[in-house]
Amino acid sequence: MRKRANNYYSLTCKKLAFFTVLAVVIQIIGLSLFILGFFPVKPTLSGMSGLESFYPLGFDSTDLAQNTSALPPEKLKSLYQELSGVPPLFDRLILMVIDGLPAEFVIGKDGKPPPEVLKKAMPYTQSILAKGLAVGYHAKAAPPTVTMPRLKAMVSGALGGFLDVATNFNTQAFLDDNLIAQFLRIGWKMVMLGDETWLKLFPDMFARHDGVNSFFVKDTIQVDYNVSRHLTTELSSTDWDLLILHYLGLDHVGHIGGRSSNLMGPKLMEMDEVIKRIHSSIMQTQETKQKRTLLMVVSDHGMTEGGNHGGSSYEETDSLALFVSGQKFSDSESRKEVYQVDMASTLALLFGVPIPKNNIGTVIRDVFTSLKDEQQLRILELNSWQLLRLLQTHLNELGCGRFSCKSERGQNYGPERLCCSYLDATALHESWKSKRLLRSVHGDDYRSAVLGYLEFLGTTSKWLSSRSTDKPIGLLVSGVAALLLSCLGLMTLTFLFTREVNFKGSRDISHTDNNIWKWHLEENFVLAVIFILILSMGSSSMIEEEQYIWHYMTSSLYLILLRKTIQSMKNGCTLTLTAEQRKIRFHHIYYIVAVLVSGRILRGWHQGGVNWSYLPDIAKLLEQAGTAHIKSLQLLSMFLVITICLAVLLSLGLRTRVSMLLVLVYLFPVLLILKQILRLQDSTFGSLSVRSTTMIQIIYAFLGTSSAGILLGTPWLMPLQNPKTLSSEVSHESPSKLPFDGFKDSLCVIGWGYMFSWCLLQMLLQQPINSVPVSLLLLQVVASIHYFSGGNLRHKQWVEVAALYYVGMAGHFGLGNTNTLATVDVAGAFIGISSHSTIISGILMFIITYASPMLALLSTLMSVCANDVRTVSNSQDVDFGYLLKTTVGYPCLVPLGLNSILLLAYTIVLLGMRNHLFIWSVFSPKFLYVCATTVCVYVGVSIVALTATYTCIVFATRSTLKGSCRDRLTER
Amino acid sequence: MSQVGGQTETSRLEFGSSSSPSSSILLQPMNHPRKKAPESTDAAVPFASSLKLLLLHLICALGLPSAFWVAFNSYSLSLIQNSAQTLLVVWAIEASVVILVYSLLRRNPDQCSNVKAIVRGLLGLLAGALVNALGAIVLGAPVGIQHFTKTIHWSLLMSVFTFVPAASVFGSSWTDWHRIFAQTKPIGSTDFMICFPAHGAVIGAWFGAWPMPLDWERPWQEWPICVTYGAIFGYLLGLVVSFGFVVYNNQRKHAKGE
Repeated sequence: MRKRANNYYSLTCKKLAFFTVLAVVIQIIGLSLFILGFFPVKPTLSGMSGLESFYPLGFDSTDLAQNTSALPPEKLKSLYQELSGVPPLFDRLILMVIDGLPAEFVIGKDGKPPPEVLKKAMPYTQSILAKGLAVGYHAKAAPPTVTMPRLKAMVSGALGGFLDVATNFNTQAFLDDNLIAQFLRIGWKMVMLGDETWLKLFPDMFARHDGVNSFFVKDTIQVDYNVSRHLTTELSSTDWDLLILHYLGLDHVGHIGGRSSNLMGPKLMEMDEVIKRIHSSIMQTQETKQKRTLLMVVSDHGMTEGGNHGGSSYEETDSLALFVSGQKFSDSESRKEVYQVDMASTLALLFGVPIPKNNIGTVIRDVFTSLKDEQQLRILELNSWQLLRLLQTHLNELGCGRFSCKSERGQNYGPERLCCSYLDATALHESWKSKRLLRSVHGDDYRSAVLGYLEFLGTTSKWLSSRSTDKPIGLLVSGVAALLLSCLGLMTLTFLFTREVNFKGSRDISHTDNNIWKWHLEENFVLAVIFILILSMGSSSMIEEEQYIWHYMTSSLYLILLRKTIQSMKNGCTLTLTAEQRKIRFHHIYYIVAVLVSGRILRGWHQGGVNWSYLPDIAKLLEQAGTAHIKSLQLLSMFLVITICLAVLLSLGLRTRVSMLLVLVYLFPVLLILKQILRLQDSTFGSLSVRSTTMIQIIYAFLGTSSAGILLGTPWLMPLQNPKTLSSEVSHESPSKLPFDGFKDSLCVIGWGYMFSWCLLQMLLQQPINSVPVSLLLLQVVASIHYFSGGNLRHKQWVEVAALYYVGMAGHFGLGNTNTLATVDVAGAFIGISSHSTIISGILMFIITYASPMLALLSTLMSVCANDVRTVSNSQDVDFGYLLKTTVGYPCLVPLGLNSILLLAYTIVLLGMRNHLFIWSVFSPKFLYVCATTVCVYVGVSIVALTATYTCIVFATRSTLKGSCRDRLTER
Repeated sequence: MSQVGGQTETSRLEFGSSSSPSSSILLQPMNHPRKKAPESTDAAVPFASSLKLLLLHLICALGLPSAFWVAFNSYSLSLIQNSAQTLLVVWAIEASVVILVYSLLRRNPDQCSNVKAIVRGLLGLLAGALVNALGAIVLGAPVGIQHFTKTIHWSLLMSVFTFVPAASVFGSSWTDWHRIFAQTKPIGSTDFMICFPAHGAVIGAWFGAWPMPLDWERPWQEWPICVTYGAIFGYLLGLVVSFGFVVYNNQRKHAKGE
């Protein structure tokens, strides 16, 4: 990745490149292993199950699928009933979700009834349970026990992986097959009252809705009143088929005071009252024979003693599933422990719709005991077909037929055993059917068929769910080990490289310089920052508020640098310092102040984080002030970017013609972007016309070609020596050293081109509010480079690269990014794209999100040229390999090394915290960001390394050509 | 008293020998005579007696608890509830204590009157408050109007810890300020007494800001309460260290003197 070695290079350069690439490859392998282990990828089926779900597996279902979507709802409904062979037991459903209610509260624990206090709090519920009008289950929820994934599990019967969140970033809507969508298909009219999560998951599916949000956790009364106030009208109206009531109050009570809070009793009574109201209304409608209604009281998750949830303890996963109806449920002594996912298949079969495709749950049989034997078997069969369909996607095979189950029964394991048990069950079912036709059916046959099915369903469900939640520890550990290896490798390389550079440096230049081995405060601090960052990773709130750490540490580093600059301004030295040098010193102070002040403005621009994101910040103030202000600021920042770039260009000291050429190259894209900004003044971002899309594509093309042109052209066109140095130093420089100046200047110009193009691109892509931060970032980076370049402060180059990296990371948060996925700018990812393409939008999103770290990495190329290459030009022969190594060694090794340390530390933290409460809500999103940062570092470093290598090769070729020319001339 | 004289004599010798490597790092041979000139006058009082210094350290250290005591008992103010007013009381009391104490230690007591040292200290208080406020804001202190008075009073307190002693003692001597704050090369007991508490306060405040982003929802996590705690802790620690150094140096001088 780093450099393709030319024969001309010294061996060490090749070795360095080789080992760096090796370390990076090991890192990639380790990271992939870790990701595979941490986010298990499970195959899911897309689309919705339809008519084909009532046919066995081998059935050709292509036209059935078409049929399903083409049929009108009423027709489909009757067709479903006809095919399934099981009449729906109920006509309409009331789904009452009590957020955070532990099942213990209602049905007790370990077969014992709940404590007397709780029994008294819910008298009605207890009475209907005792009468057999209700039947309750412990529905074990899977972690993460937070509302949205639990609701998804209830309605789809599937356990979503974490990456689901990341893959459908642009919508929160639930796209997998689920009950709500199935109900909508058969023409149900649905009403939703309560938590607005439902509305986010199922937009436009509800005929009526009143969403409440769970933002005000302190409120336990109003949030439930807002649901119950509709109850009277909704219960009296008959137009709906599904009524969802989602009560948040109990969860809020838990968050405030825990399980044994004083508010818990009254809240349970309130819930009991609601159940009573609904149940009496059900009884009424039942009597008038209008509709048979099922009330399903469920909770999405439980809560710990302290009222929290999210983790996987028994208290948190113990959620409730309570079936309440007007008829008596038949008594059965079977298990009262089911899984939350079982609800989807049970409800689907109760209401005669196909089971959702990705369901891993099994039916709760007790609810169906009023059905006839063949209907009960049919229900088990339908569930088995569905699970088998899902199982096949895991097996990537056509069917179960190829296994020979009879012979090696004992040795079979995993999916093969599942297949065998399915075949057993179907065989038993078939024999039962044939015996029934012959009227010789026996109770035992029926029981064995049921047991066969239950065996298959239970094991398959368990196997499928373990596939989606298990984190194979072996994979995780081996991933971490590989990351550790590569991290150690990179550290060793950096250390060896430092030693070599210092050795050469001390031999070549500085006999007076004894302190090249001495550690300075800022160097210690750079390392301390890494240590502090690693420490902060262990705390979830520090991850949520990471922006504070980066800003604090970066500012502290620059304050230490400020102190160092002042340190060198000793009064006593003034005699030896010329006026010029004093001026430079003051310039250094200005640079640092510029970095600090812009850093503070960046910090204030977006409040960021999670806990204090509501606090006022500049961005919010500007958004209140209106778009006119934002536009003028956008123009101002554009002006600032152009000014900074021109100033940098001038400070490079190139020939006037070269500078003019470079300005001309960028003139056109700059004008186009300005026009774009002005045009957008009237139209909002949402309505991008075709013309403006074309225009933006033209700008992309211009920026791309100009950077590429500069990259390819500069090394060939750049004079081998700088005009300035030519005039001043030609007298005492031997001609053999001259190519170095040209090399340096070319890198400078290319780096400038990259930075300018990148900033212009960001001006176009970022939200208008972020244009000022982008220009401030550019200011910070340029000021840092200038600070580190001139003067004899003798900063080590790795300190410079590390400081730039830190500025880049602080700026990343300054642009409004956080460690939650919510702040990814999705709208920006579609700017200038005419057709939907996930890859291109992904790249654009990456460019927008990682604007700042990438700018910092690209700028290291410029910092290379600003650094003095004294060490190089003092050596006698033109050694391009050595030159290349010394110039881009640190800009490549330091970001890779820093990132590898942080990556390794974070994976170890994740390994330790894989069962932590916040693993899904806090740690996993941050891990995605860490991975993306790693990619960003790879991309940035490889651009820097390849550019430098290319330039180096060109200059090597040019100097050999020139040498041979000279030889030819002398021969003549 | 004669013993004291002996001490100062040896300490000057000691100082002379220790200063040469440090200045050689600066690569400025020209520098030697110029740099030495002010310091050799300083060497007349670099190490005062341990007892006197203990007293001075104690006065500075006890100023803080007494200020908090006054704030709590006379005005019933506490740092957590009324941070701005409490800080006002604390810095006002501590400033008067510190200015008086350090004006006793002023450089060139013959040429510079006590009043002048006090005035210098007051000027230093304002200048230092400005510098500290800017530093805090750069590091992320909130800038809203509701935080304005808090920031001002906090930076005045920080100024009392950092700038005021140096201003009272040195006035506007760039060399001394540079030596103490930029290079951290204190020489003599007064330098120790200025340098260590000041650095302690700054470093303490820096660490004190760490708990602020944590979501513990404690009232003391507000700006500038925990930073003030950190600064005060660092300051007191600095006083202890400074006293330790003074005693250690005195004993060494003592041993050498005999």
